[in-house]
Amino acid sequence: MNKNKIYPQWYIVGPLVLYVMFFLFPSLLGVLYSFTDWSSRSGINGISFVGLENYIEIFTSNRDYASGIVNTLKFTLISNGIKLTVGLFLAILLQEGVFGKGLYRTVFYLPSILPFVIIGLVFKSVFNYNTGLLNTMFETLQLDFMKQKWLSDLNIVWKSIYGVDAWRGIGYVMTIFLAGLNAIPRTYYEAAVIDGANFWQKLFKVTLPMMTGSIMINLVFGITYGLKVFDIIYVLTNGGPGRETEVLTTYVFQLYSRGQYGLATAMNAILLIITAVIGIAVVKFMSKQEVQQ
Amino acid sequence: MKTKWFSVVCCMIFVVLLSVGCGQNDNGNAQPDASGSSDDQTTVFDDSASDVNGEISFDGEELSILVSAGWMDNRYDTIIERFEDTYDVTVDLQTIPADQYFDILQSKLDTGTNADIFWIQSNPFAIETTIVRPEEYCLDFTGAEWKDIMYEARKASCVHDGKLYGLQIWHNSPEYVMLYNKTVFDELGLEIPTTYDELKEVCETISAEGMTPWFIPGADGWQHQLAFFQIGGVYEANMPGLYDQLNINKATFAGNETMLTVLQQFKELSDLGYFGEDWIGSDSTNASNDFGDRNIVMAMANSSYIKQIKEETGTTDEFGLFLLPLADNNSFPTNPAGPTMFGYKGTSHPELVKAFFDFVTTTESLQELLDNSPSYTNLDVNDPNLEQHWLPEEEVFMSGVKQSQMVTPVLQTGTKYTNDYWMDFGADMVAYCLDQMEANEVLENMDRNRAESAEITGDPNWN
Repeated sequence: MNKNKIYPQWYIVGPLVLYVMFFLFPSLLGVLYSFTDWSSRSGINGISFVGLENYIEIFTSNRDYASGIVNTLKFTLISNGIKLTVGLFLAILLQEGVFGKGLYRTVFYLPSILPFVIIGLVFKSVFNYNTGLLNTMFETLQLDFMKQKWLSDLNIVWKSIYGVDAWRGIGYVMTIFLAGLNAIPRTYYEAAVIDGANFWQKLFKVTLPMMTGSIMINLVFGITYGLKVFDIIYVLTNGGPGRETEVLTTYVFQLYSRGQYGLATAMNAILLIITAVIGIAVVKFMSKQEVQQ
Repeated sequence: MKTKWFSVVCCMIFVVLLSVGCGQNDNGNAQPDASGSSDDQTTVFDDSASDVNGEISFDGEELSILVSAGWMDNRYDTIIERFEDTYDVTVDLQTIPADQYFDILQSKLDTGTNADIFWIQSNPFAIETTIVRPEEYCLDFTGAEWKDIMYEARKASCVHDGKLYGLQIWHNSPEYVMLYNKTVFDELGLEIPTTYDELKEVCETISAEGMTPWFIPGADGWQHQLAFFQIGGVYEANMPGLYDQLNINKATFAGNETMLTVLQQFKELSDLGYFGEDWIGSDSTNASNDFGDRNIVMAMANSSYIKQIKEETGTTDEFGLFLLPLADNNSFPTNPAGPTMFGYKGTSHPELVKAFFDFVTTTESLQELLDNSPSYTNLDVNDPNLEQHWLPEEEVFMSGVKQSQMVTPVLQTGTKYTNDYWMDFGADMVAYCLDQMEANEVLENMDRNRAESAEITGDPNWN
């Protein structure tokens, strides 16, 4: 009866060709090039196979590329932890009958429509030690002890980055959670209330299990974003002070800019592998949770 | 059945559009081939190709220029406006923050999406290295009318294999020496320091008065390295022949006693807070006001900065210049290098690029350039009709410098592949000041970077 509504399988050929041509093929080619000494002079010198040399360089070099990998993973973990926790809290708060919740939702979401470069430039100015808005405000309020070297103190700089990242991303996470919350039937909460459940019991026994889908979306998006993070760090600190906030992508950018394409693609391949492994693991785990429910 | 055919037609249209889209270049630039040849355009110019009289029409065309902040700024605005009016074209000036410029330029060159005109900090070595790769990326201006506007020393940064590729219009003032507030020095009874110990004592006295002794804008990313590189003369003096040895890979930065001393002294001053409360996070945006307000007393700057401070702040304080005495240096930072303008070989309108170079090098444009540059007191060009504005402070300072102190060029210009890693070295210096690295590791990284650059370039001394 519905035969006419089922489209033939060859319809997938178009997207598949595009996917293979513009993603799969370049990605595999990138992995292949990561085993070569491809550089900006290869047009003259040619490209030679160097085996695992690029990968060995990444993990053993004095330049500490490995710290870029660690920083990337750290950023992914912490930034998502902050955004998911606060985003969920705000979503729950704004789903309830808070006065002006529509306005709050808009206000919280607004930063996420701004480009990171603009946000970075604005916050770079806000964080300026001598003339920045933040330290000036503390000075005016006679709270001099709160003044910080926001982007040049090794103990503060990551916190500043997380703060800006959360300011921008929480609204987006919150919106996805709100969609998930709205999909939970009210009857579940009514039943829970009749059973005498308190706020936390409702949260952990009803809300969170029913939101596996939106949590998974946020996690997958958040993890892929975190592993690929570049612009916010590039604009705010450019990997500094020193090498403190270098991540995989800032190193890739530097290497590519220097014409060391082989090494850059090796770093990209590592990024691809980490992203794929973590992404697949998260999806599998969350799907399992969903099925069990 | 109809739906099926409709889908097939849609797919075919999609594929055709995709092919057409892939075949075009959005910015209209044709990517140069790796061999450096270009079949469809003339890239060698001679006087007969002139279009000043309007023989060639550029109506409605757009000329894009990619430049680092500080190299053109507002000083070219009037020239650009006149150029736009004269040729009825639009100039798209893309000014990139200094700390990001090199990466962006290199990416654009590598991907064939560069602007029609681009700038680089050139020197006689830089033009041969991986940055510019003139045969591949630059228009050949050999025979252009303006070739004699540059003195030979500057032309060396623009010529490769006998062909002229770039145009360098820069000033000839003392560059990045120590600029100091003479009035404050007099009031505190301070003398110009000539050794590191004296410099430290001066800093101590100034600091005790609540002022920043030596302002360094670390957040700019490119300024703090000057303290290391501008005193190249002292490295050569303490180890004669060092430059030559570095250029043939017979010497290294790592382990050089004088270089280590300079880094250690720099860190000591940083630890003592003499560069300011947060020099790593400070930029130079407000520096002239801070000079005028006496918040800062010394900085590495060009002599013309004195003029800028006085004009912008109205201060009545007097200023002077002295040689940076880290490692007891007394050499003058001779530097024939400077920001240099190149035409991109992949441009779709090389004649318009040529017209711009011709236009900039007229006496009228040069005078506008100088008059609109608060930070310039002169232009180092061969144009007798140009009215220069030398400062008395420059004349006083230069009268105290002997010719023997000016022999060795600054380290970044005098040694191969060094300037390419200016920003990396700066990041490493900061890491060292934050105790994330050792001094010798900073130098080792420079050696490694230079070796990589040399290897990529195919330099026989490294291969």
